[in-house]
Amino acid sequence: MSERITVAALALLALLAVAFAPWASFEREAGSRAALTLLPDRVVDLTGRTDPVDVPGQGAVLGLTLLGLAGLGAGAAIRGRAHRAVWIASGAVLIATTLVGLDRHAGAYEAAQRDVVRGALEEALADPGGRTDVEGLEALLARYDAQPVETSRLEALQVGVRIRTLPYGGVAPGLTAFLAILSGALAFAFGVRLHPAVDRLVRRVIDVAAVPATAILLALAAAAVVILALQPTPIGREVVVDDWRTYLAGRLDTLWYAYYTLFAGSLGTFEGFAEALKFATPLIFTGLGVGFGFKAGLFNIGAPGQMVLGGLFAMFAGVYLPGPGWFVLPASVAAAALGGGLWGALPGFLKARFGANEVINTILLNFVASSLLLFVLSSSPVFAASALRILTALGIAAGVLILAAFARPVRRLAGRSPRRSAALVAVALLGVMVIAGLPRAGDGPVTLNLPFKVEGSDPKSVPLQETARLPQLPAAFGVDPATMVGSTATTVDAAAWAALAATAVVLVLGATLGARIGLATWPRRALAAGVAAAATYGVGWALGWRAVPFEVPPSNLNAGFLIAIGAAVFMQIFLFRTKWGYELRAVGDAPKAAEYGGASIARSTVVAMAMSGAFAGLTATHYVLGGALEDYALRQSLPTNDGFDGIAVALLGGNNPVGIVLAAFLFGVLKNGGSTLSIAFADLTRDVVNMILALVVLFIAARGFLPERFSDPIQRAAWRRRRGEVDEADAALVAAASDEGTPSDGEA
Amino acid sequence: MDWLLIGAIAASAIRATTPLLFASLGGLFSERSGVVNIALEGIMVFGALGAAITAQLVERPYVAQDPNAVVWFAPWLGVLAAMAVGGFVGWIHAVVSIRYKADQIISATAINLMAIGIPAVLLTGLYDNSTTSERVQNTLPTWGVGAVQFSPLVYLAFLLVPTAWYVLFRTPFGLRLRSVGEHPEAADSVGIDVRRMRYYGVVLSGVLAGLGGAFLSIGNLNQFVAEMAGGRGYIALAALIFGKWTPFGALGATLLFGTFEAIGTLLGGGNLLPPALVQAIPFILTMLVLAGFVGRAVPPGAVGKPFEK
Repeated sequence: MSERITVAALALLALLAVAFAPWASFEREAGSRAALTLLPDRVVDLTGRTDPVDVPGQGAVLGLTLLGLAGLGAGAAIRGRAHRAVWIASGAVLIATTLVGLDRHAGAYEAAQRDVVRGALEEALADPGGRTDVEGLEALLARYDAQPVETSRLEALQVGVRIRTLPYGGVAPGLTAFLAILSGALAFAFGVRLHPAVDRLVRRVIDVAAVPATAILLALAAAAVVILALQPTPIGREVVVDDWRTYLAGRLDTLWYAYYTLFAGSLGTFEGFAEALKFATPLIFTGLGVGFGFKAGLFNIGAPGQMVLGGLFAMFAGVYLPGPGWFVLPASVAAAALGGGLWGALPGFLKARFGANEVINTILLNFVASSLLLFVLSSSPVFAASALRILTALGIAAGVLILAAFARPVRRLAGRSPRRSAALVAVALLGVMVIAGLPRAGDGPVTLNLPFKVEGSDPKSVPLQETARLPQLPAAFGVDPATMVGSTATTVDAAAWAALAATAVVLVLGATLGARIGLATWPRRALAAGVAAAATYGVGWALGWRAVPFEVPPSNLNAGFLIAIGAAVFMQIFLFRTKWGYELRAVGDAPKAAEYGGASIARSTVVAMAMSGAFAGLTATHYVLGGALEDYALRQSLPTNDGFDGIAVALLGGNNPVGIVLAAFLFGVLKNGGSTLSIAFADLTRDVVNMILALVVLFIAARGFLPERFSDPIQRAAWRRRRGEVDEADAALVAAASDEGTPSDGEA
Repeated sequence: MDWLLIGAIAASAIRATTPLLFASLGGLFSERSGVVNIALEGIMVFGALGAAITAQLVERPYVAQDPNAVVWFAPWLGVLAAMAVGGFVGWIHAVVSIRYKADQIISATAINLMAIGIPAVLLTGLYDNSTTSERVQNTLPTWGVGAVQFSPLVYLAFLLVPTAWYVLFRTPFGLRLRSVGEHPEAADSVGIDVRRMRYYGVVLSGVLAGLGGAFLSIGNLNQFVAEMAGGRGYIALAALIFGKWTPFGALGATLLFGTFEAIGTLLGGGNLLPPALVQAIPFILTMLVLAGFVGRAVPPGAVGKPFEK
C-alpha cells in the first residue's frame, strides 16, 4: 500500500511542479541569478539581461510529461499487479521525455551561444580595431564550426578580439525535470517488482534503506525551510518581481539550485568526486570508530579526542623515528592507531574497573585532548618553576604506577580493596605534589621550548620527515598536481585496472554466491580470480587498453583513503569472521547472556573502546601523514568536529562497515557541496551542512518517524506474513521470535 | 593569602557555579523522570543564543535612536526567551525519546550537534558572522550589597535548590515524577500518565538549562560566542551523578566544580601554569571524581529506558 501512496504523492508533487516550478534554467551567473524555463515555453528572467531562445518541441515535452504523470496516478489506483506494468511504461515515458527534452533545451541554447559569438567575431572582422589580427580572425571564423565555443573564445583573445563572458552559459535542469525523473524512476523501480528476483532485491533495499533515506529526506526538507528563510531569491538589479507566480518560481529555483550546488559538484565531475572522497576519508575513520563502539554496546563520543591523540602520536613518529621509509611509514600509521587506541582505552578501563559511564568520560576527554593539543602547539608555554616540578613529579608517579600495575603481586594487593588503594595512591600523590611544589631559592618562571613545535607563533608542528609521508593518490598515475599545474593529462594502463576490477568482482561473487557457482573454497576463489584477471588483461591488451589517455583530476586525495577502505574491510572481517568480533557483538547485544556464555565484559569493554579509539586515531593518516592540512605537519586547526560527524555517519550507515563507507561518502559530498554553497549564495554558508548532519542524527534516532516495521525485522516479518508475502528469511525470523519470545535488535 | 584574594576566588567560584547549577538542577528533573539528558550542553548553547539575540533585537530600535539608551526590560525578555527556547529544545528531546522511543543518548547527541550547526546558520543570517552575536548593551543588572554584587540569576539558581528539593520530595507532582523514573510500570498501574510526567521533566530541564545559558551570554558576558557552554553541560551532568541525583547533592558538587574552575582561572591568569593546561583541569578532576565515587551512586531505576506500555 505504501508504495502506491508514495508514487501517487510524488506524481502529484511533480504535477504541481509542472505548473509552478522551473523545468530548466539558463544564463546562471555569479550570485546564482538565472533565467528560468517553465513548461511549455514560459521564461522567467531573473537576471534582467538576457533574451530567451525559442526551443522547439517543448509542447510535446509538456504533453508527454503530463501523460506519464497521469499514468503514475492511474497505476496507483489500479488493483492487483497490473499497476506495475503501467508504472513501468509511464516511468519509462517520463524519464525518456525529460532527458530528451533537457537535451534539446541545452542544444538550443548552445546553438544560440555559437550564433552570438560568431556574430561578435564577424562584427569585429567588419570593423577591425587597431590590435586585431585580421588574418588570424578570418582563419578562426573558417574553423569556427569545428571546435568548441570556449576554444574559439580563447583563440579570439589571441587575435585581439575580446569576448568577456559567453552568453547562455550555465544551462541546467530544474526542479520540475528532477521531480519528473525521480517519480518516473521510482515508479519504474516499483514496477519491475513484477519479476520475483527483482522483487526480492527491491524489498531488501527498502528494508535496509527506508529509515536512513527517510531521515536524510526529512533533514533536507528541514534545511529547505532554513535555506528559504535565509536566502532571498537572487535577482538582477533591474528585475521587478510583481506577480506571485514569478515569485514562487524564483523561490523554488533558489531552493533547487542550493541543493543542486550541494550535490552536482561532487557527483557531476571527476574532480569533485575526488574532492568528496577526500572529505569522506576522515569521516570513514571516525564513523568506523563510533560504529565499532556501538556494535559492542558502547557509545564512543570521544572520537574528537582520539583524533587529537592519533595526530600527536603520528606526528611524534613521523618527526623522530629513524630508519627507511618501509619502516617509518607503517610505524607512523601504527602510532596513529596506538594514540587513538590508548585515549579510547582509558574511558573503557574506567568503565570496566569503576563503572564510570563511558559517554561522559569520552566527552570530558575530548576537552582534555583539545587543551593538550593547544598546549603542545602553543608558542613558548610558561610555567612557574614549582608547577613544573609538580607536573614532573606527577609524570614520574604515573609512570611508576603504570609499571606497578603490570606486576601481578601489586595488582592482587591493590585489587583486594580498590577504593582504599585508590585513596592511598591519591594521598601519596598529594604528598609528593606538596613536597615538589614547595618554593625553593631561585625559582623563576620556566619557559619550555618544545622541540617539535615550529619556530614562531604559527600553531603547528615541524614538518614530517620525507619517509613518513603518505603518497598522494594522483601520484599513483604518475602525476604530481603540485608540479604539473594546468596539465594533468597522462596515460593509464586501463587493462591492469580492468584486471583488478575483475579480481574484485570474482572475489565478491565468491563471497556472496560462492556455494551456487562452485566457488565455495578459498583456493578455488583465488584460482578463479587469477584466471579472470589474466583473461581480462589479455583482452585489454588485445583491445589496446594498455595506454589510455586520461586526465587525472588535480586532487590531493591521499593514500589515507585507501587505508580507510582497508580499515572498513578489517572491521567487517574482525566483527563477522573472528571469534573476538563475535564476543564483542555478543556483549553488545546481550551482556548478561554473553557473560553467562563465558565472555568477559570488562575485557570486551576495554578492547572495544581501544579499537574504536584506534579507528578514530587513524584519521591522522589523512590529516597528518597524508598532508591534508595544507602541509605534512600537525596543526592546531585539526578539524576535530569530524569526530562528532562520525556519530552521524555510523548511525546512518547502520554501524556496518559498508554502510559507514557509503554514509561517509554522502557526507563527503555534502561537505564538498557546502563549500561550493557559500560561494554560490551570498547568505548561505557551509554551516547549513553541519545542521543537516545534526538533523540526520535526530531523525535516525526517531527512526524517521516511520512505523516500527521499518526498523524492527521481527515486526516487519510479522507484518509481511499478515499480508501473505512471506519469504524464507522472514519466515525463519518469525519462527525464531515466536519460539523464544526474545526480541532482537537490528540484526538480520 | 589575604582576605581580598579569598573573597575574589569565592565570588568567582559562585559565578562559575551558577550555570552548572542551573543545568544540574535541570538534569535532575529530567533524570528523575527517567530520561537521560546529555543534551544539557546543547540546550545551554541554545538558551544563550536565544537570550543574546532577543535582548539585542529588543534594544536595537532604542539604541539606534540613542547609543546609550537604557532598556531595562531587554535582558529580562532575553531571559524569558532563553527559558522558552530551552524548553522548546527540551521538548524536541522529549518527543524523540519519549514518543518515538529513541535511544536517549543519541537523541541528545543530535541536539548537541545541532548546537554547533544551527547557531552558526542563524548568526550568519542575522549578523553576517558565524561565531558571535553583536554585543548586547543592556545586559542583566547586578544586585547586591556593597562589594558583593551578583547577577539576579545567581540568586535565582541558589534559591532553586531548596525549591527543587521541595517540589521533588514534598509535593504530589514530585512523587509522581520520581515514580515514573523509578518504576514506570508501577506508576502506570496506579494511573499516573508516565509519558506526560516525563514530558514535564524533560521540558523543565530544558527551561532550567536555558536559564543557565542566559546567564552565560547576558549575565556573565554581553554577547553570544560559539560553543559558549564549553562543556559545562557535561560537567553539570557529572555533578548530578556525583550529587547522587539530589538537589543539595547537586549544589555541593557544582560548588566543588565551580571552585575548581575559579582556581583554574586564577592559576592560568597568574602565569603559574600555561592557560591551555589550566583549561583541562576541571575536566580531569571531574573524571577523577566520577571514577572514584560513581560506583556508590544509584541512579533512578528506569533512567535511560523508553517506557513500553
